[in-house]
Amino acid sequence: MERTPRSSPIRPSTGYDRGESEDFSALRRLLLSPEQIQLNRLRQRMDTLVIGPQEVSRVLPDAIRLRAQQDNRLLASLLPITQEALALSIKQSPQLISDSIAPILGSAIRKAISRAMREMFQSLNQTLEYSMSWQGLQWRWEAWKTGRPFVEVVVLHTLRFRVEQVFLIHKKTGLLLNHVMAEGISSQGEAAISGMLTAIQDFVRDSFQQGQDEGLESLRIGDLTVWIEQGSSAILASVIRGTPPVKLRDFLQSTLESLHVQYSDSLKDFQGDAAVFLETRPHLEDCLQAQFVKKRKGLPVVLWVCSGLLLALLGWWAYQATLSHQQWTELLKRIAAEPGIVVTTIQEEGGRTVFHGLRDPLAVDPEQLLEEVGYPPHAAGFHFEPFIALTPEMVRKRAITVLQPPGSVEVSIEGSRIILTGESSHGWIARVTRSASAIPGVSEISLERLIDTDVKQFEALQVELEGQAIFFFPGQGRMPDRELVKIQQVKFILQELDEKAIQLGRKPSIEVMGYSSPVGTQPINVSLSERRANNVLEMLNEITFQVLKLSAAGKGVDPDVPSGSGGEQGYSASRRVSFKVVESGFPLRREVGARSEP
Amino acid sequence: MIQKKICMLGGFAVGKTSLVKRLISGMFSEKYLTTVGVKIDQKSLSVCGQDLLLVLWDLYGDDDFQKVRASYLQGASGYILVIDGTRKETVEVAGKLHELARKTIGPVPFVLLLNKHDLVNEWVVESPMVSDLSDQACLVSMVSAKTGEGVEAAFSALSEAMLKS
Ligand SMILES: Nc1nc2c(ncn2[C@@H]2O[C@H](COP(=O)(O)OP(=O)(O)O)[C@@H](O)[C@H]2O)c(=O)[nH]1
Ligand SMILES: [Mg+2]
Repeated sequence: MERTPRSSPIRPSTGYDRGESEDFSALRRLLLSPEQIQLNRLRQRMDTLVIGPQEVSRVLPDAIRLRAQQDNRLLASLLPITQEALALSIKQSPQLISDSIAPILGSAIRKAISRAMREMFQSLNQTLEYSMSWQGLQWRWEAWKTGRPFVEVVVLHTLRFRVEQVFLIHKKTGLLLNHVMAEGISSQGEAAISGMLTAIQDFVRDSFQQGQDEGLESLRIGDLTVWIEQGSSAILASVIRGTPPVKLRDFLQSTLESLHVQYSDSLKDFQGDAAVFLETRPHLEDCLQAQFVKKRKGLPVVLWVCSGLLLALLGWWAYQATLSHQQWTELLKRIAAEPGIVVTTIQEEGGRTVFHGLRDPLAVDPEQLLEEVGYPPHAAGFHFEPFIALTPEMVRKRAITVLQPPGSVEVSIEGSRIILTGESSHGWIARVTRSASAIPGVSEISLERLIDTDVKQFEALQVELEGQAIFFFPGQGRMPDRELVKIQQVKFILQELDEKAIQLGRKPSIEVMGYSSPVGTQPINVSLSERRANNVLEMLNEITFQVLKLSAAGKGVDPDVPSGSGGEQGYSASRRVSFKVVESGFPLRREVGARSEP
Repeated sequence: MIQKKICMLGGFAVGKTSLVKRLISGMFSEKYLTTVGVKIDQKSLSVCGQDLLLVLWDLYGDDDFQKVRASYLQGASGYILVIDGTRKETVEVAGKLHELARKTIGPVPFVLLLNKHDLVNEWVVESPMVSDLSDQACLVSMVSAKTGEGVEAAFSALSEAMLKS
């Protein structure tokens, strides 16, 4: 049949006819004439054929498809026209183009921008958050020391986990299909790393006799973890810093699965040209997840410290305020209660509170009050005019100042009367009586409860003296030697009495009284007693007294000695000399405003 | 950019690692590599106006062909078969490795390198000895990892062959 066209009557004008017999021609005409006619008609139609749009429209879609499958020529011829048309179209109706492109590009751009913004804010936030804190200062130091940017140090420290790199690896060849990195990560030799990851996989698989789809799931290299997801034709290896959550694994796995579905042919036919896998970038970038450590309360430490300080300050201030208020009220109370101080006005003068009024010079120093109350001394001032206060306390105080009583004397005030209680020397009492009238507000001074110690001593000496007795032998007017000791004693008492008398301003007389026993006659007894008295007086007069005046008197028989108390021996007590103090002056204790004791 | 995996194949101490080192400066620490047993480097070059990234797999340590695992050869687009020109026995090893490669990855392009060409005095390997391999190789070359002689050219030749295949 191949030859048929050549010898066919399609070309009747060729030299075939000339070389052949008429019979053959006739035969041919006979046999093939119907087809000949048909062929001629076809030929005519072909020659005049114009392909109408109708016909083209019918075959065009299939024709384009077929041609595109064959080669690139259709594309090549269409390209310039399409480009031109597109350019023209954009020029003529830009709105139309932008309207149709916007929904696609818009969202893509928005996504890209929001991602960039998020990243920027993330790092900005953290930088800000940490730049003020103590931690931040340490990290700043670290950044300075290591020469790394501060943001990077912050990220490293605040990272819970971050997927830093994702490798999409062709399983069979170990060649890298695509690779993405997180911001700030730099990597070299991804292709070699990719191969290495595959080699490690192979190594583990071979070493432990695992199946093709099994293999290493995770590697740790320093503080990096590599998570490896196994697919039938590709591996997804994620380099992660920190501790990733388990759910990240699911995400990575599902990403790898969807990539397998999308690129199953490309993965199967991979010959080293990874261009087709560039489109996997967005999917891989979605795997570049990160999570940062949340700060416990969100407040930087510095803020905590600041607010703490502020609170402390406030507290202190409030404390001080209440304290100073307390002090102030306390001060007012104290000043008001203080005898001898009368506050008339309180004024603020030059930043301090100045008290105006009257103050008895004997009243407490107001500065001392400030100190006692704890009120700041610089915050208060005093401007007091002196005055004499007549309050009992001040009168008493004044009395004490004026009288200067010894410790043994209690001073109390009853109305305008000073009552002195206790003991004091005669001299002081004398002074008191003189100066009492000089105390303002005092009309009377009571010494009733005041014991004059000098008088007391005088009286004691008197009692002692009067208790002395010098005994004589019967009928003797001369003192026996054994009684000399007593004379010494009496001399001593008398000297003391002399002194006390001087102190008290008294001029007492001492009667030296001689006695005799009732034995014998009256006249003899009187003269004997006289002799006895004179004898003692003589001996006593060996001393000179300043004020004491000694006199002797023979008293005869002592009437107090009971008669008949037994012979010579029994009367021994009556043969004696005794002493008696005779007050010549007036009693001192009743000198000024004195009353007898109840 | 097109990537190609290339394996270094050859007997013990023929100079595979040295050849790779000659081409690139390595990035993995040696200690780490002894465990996994493979050292992988990458080298980008331009061949016939096409950017190409070679990912070079080099077995590490005292390797011989028995230690070459299938997974190591898997996915390679070509390989470099290295013979030590000063040691006859390395020819045999190279032959076995070549067979293994054929079996595992099929007829991919490879270059046959007779290394240590700087040691001319000790040279013992003559062309007839390697004729079987030479016939199939896309390039047979005397090279020296030490002087660098023929190294870049060998890698380029393999790259070109891989791109064409
Ligand atoms: N002289 C010379 N020595 C080489 C050359 N290439 C490698 N070597 C040495 O051969 C030894 C083994 O090299 P190496 O690269 O570790 O071989 P590998 O076991 O195949 O990786 C080392 O001591 C290298 O210094 C070369 O071209 N010339
Ligand atoms: Mg080596």
